[in-house]
Amino acid sequence: MAADLAELTGMIEAALPGAAVEVIDETGTGDHLRATVSAPQFEGLSRIDQHRLVKAAVKERFNDGTIHALSVKTSVPG
Amino acid sequence: MPHMADPELKSKIEELIAANPVLLFMKGTPDMPRCGFSMRVVQVLDQVDVDYGAIDVLPALQPLREVTAEISDWQTFPQLYVNGELLGGCDIVEEMFESGELAEALGVEQPETASVPETAPPAQSPPLQIE
Repeated sequence: MAADLAELTGMIEAALPGAAVEVIDETGTGDHLRATVSAPQFEGLSRIDQHRLVKAAVKERFNDGTIHALSVKTSVPG
Repeated sequence: MPHMADPELKSKIEELIAANPVLLFMKGTPDMPRCGFSMRVVQVLDQVDVDYGAIDVLPALQPLREVTAEISDWQTFPQLYVNGELLGGCDIVEEMFESGELAEALGVEQPETASVPETAPPAQSPPLQIE
């Protein structure tokens, strides 16, 4: 089953209100998804904790096997 | 519910993390990484020129996933631990390397040409060995 990029984006936005989120499929095969997330909630958190928040938001899609890998790039809105 | 981690393996891993200031859990070995992401972390660590311990997770992948899920809430490898804490996987390590945060966390000088090869394909692993 192909990953629904809009759904993933929506899941991250719902978990982190106010975040700017972009999810792209780098290879067009669904194997290399990349999420770029800028969220005010990241302020003061270590990068690993920022990534944990993003991964937790889409956990369901990992668990059901829709996605296998998600590269994450986070930032605090400047 | 996810399977509970093996308590014996978990305490062994906790001891290793405590005993090694810089410890990398990876697929394969630093000399022969068996996954592109693990290889990229090794390349970064070589560039910052730091001594580190490395554990090949492949012989016990699932049990180790269960352990790191409990210890650090993280199940994918590679994982780099610095001073007892999970710093991150490939994305975070590369990002922190380029920004100088990694050298700072490791207490070493930032190399002058800190760059991650842009063209590195995501998963160019050496061919799997037949064992």
